[in-house]
Amino acid sequence: MGKNPNASVLLVDDEDMVLTSVRAYLTLETEFTIHTFSEPEEAVKHMQNNPVDVVVSDYLMPRMSGIQFLMKARELQPEVSRVLLTGHADKQSAIQAINDVGLYQYVEKPWDNAQLLLVVTNGIERSSLLRDLRSTISELATANTSLKDVQKRLLRAFL
Amino acid sequence: MASLGRMLANIVHEINTPIGSILSNNEVVVRSLDKLQAMLAAPDTMPMEKVRAIVETCRSLAAVDEIACQRIASVVRGLKTFVHAGDGEFHQASLQDAMTDTLKLTQGEFRRRIVVETDFGDVPPVECQPQMLNQVFLNLLVNAGHAICGEGKIVVRMRQEGDQAHISISDTGCGIRAEDCGKIFASGFTSKPAGVGTGLGLSISRRIVEEVHGGKIYFETQVGVGTTFHILIPIQHARTADPPKE
Ligand SMILES: Nc1ncnc2c1ncn2[C@@H]1O[C@H](COP(=O)(O)OP(=O)(O)OP(=O)(O)O)[C@@H](O)[C@H]1O
Ligand SMILES: [Mg+2]
Repeated sequence: MGKNPNASVLLVDDEDMVLTSVRAYLTLETEFTIHTFSEPEEAVKHMQNNPVDVVVSDYLMPRMSGIQFLMKARELQPEVSRVLLTGHADKQSAIQAINDVGLYQYVEKPWDNAQLLLVVTNGIERSSLLRDLRSTISELATANTSLKDVQKRLLRAFL
Repeated sequence: MASLGRMLANIVHEINTPIGSILSNNEVVVRSLDKLQAMLAAPDTMPMEKVRAIVETCRSLAAVDEIACQRIASVVRGLKTFVHAGDGEFHQASLQDAMTDTLKLTQGEFRRRIVVETDFGDVPPVECQPQMLNQVFLNLLVNAGHAICGEGKIVVRMRQEGDQAHISISDTGCGIRAEDCGKIFASGFTSKPAGVGTGLGLSISRRIVEEVHGGKIYFETQVGVGTTFHILIPIQHARTADPPKE
């Protein structure tokens, strides 16, 4: 599953243990670039300057919850696929929050590596499709405006 | 003491994170070994750099596993002191150790939002029923945790004062309203929703401290600022007050 070698995956969890384990797995199984953050604030800073395909965030973190972080992530990069990693106890509130952040998927802790990989891989696919779509739309829009320009000039020439 | 059930749910959650890590790491190590073995069979198929990276990863995962196991072990150690219901006899015991064990149980619930500070002075071993006092400590700590909404701090102090040990647990929680102050030790009084509190914690705690140990429990509180519960336990148990039963 080494496709999309340039894809960038961002992991946020206040547990370094989780970050190390997930990073090791994804590094072994994929060519994705993995960035890990134990402070959501740092992850936000990273996202201000670097395009990301998938963010996987813990739910319960001090200072900034996973939901707050994912909302920030959406603001910064609307196409990024947002995945929540939740402990069993907070599943209910996590599900409630799905609509608030336009969550792509949630994965329960203890997580299953194969499932997580599938979610991340599909998330990358999804965000790159969205990006393509957006650029096609803006190309169309540009084409449309230049058509209008031509139309205007033609009109001006004839009127 | 439904909060004990909640506490157990938290402990399960607390153990789940390290277990999740260990399981994942185990899978990664096995897969890494597969890759290394394949590489040994056909040495030129994998760049040395990649091999080194795999070995380094496995090393870092072993370090994570060690931390994860320690986390589980520390929660389990904390639980052990509750397993024996207590033999009903008084022992010389370190209250510092008892409190440290109990604090381990609350770690899961507190870690993400509450800072716990301990300030243990030199308190000699106290003649007590440590399992029972653990229950008192747990009740007070859970209450303090519930009183703090969002982030806050709990300070646990321990001092010798004359022939008594003085333990105090302060929180930066909501405080107790004046009209409730006279009721909180009553059995069944709770301000918490059903399923969270049964209102038994403090009445049991008072029985354990005052009737079983001949000590004292009281509190100071200020609404919006916080609450401190104080416990006094005689260092020598007065046998006349509670003759040892066979
Ligand atoms: N540290 C505290 N800060 C604010 N209020 C407190 C504190 N400790 C106790 N209380 C109040 O006293 C009440 C009774 O406490 P108690 O421990 O007896 O019962 P509970 O915590 O409600 O339920 P449980 O049986 O689960 O302990 C609480 O519901 C709460 O209103
Ligand atoms: Mg209580």
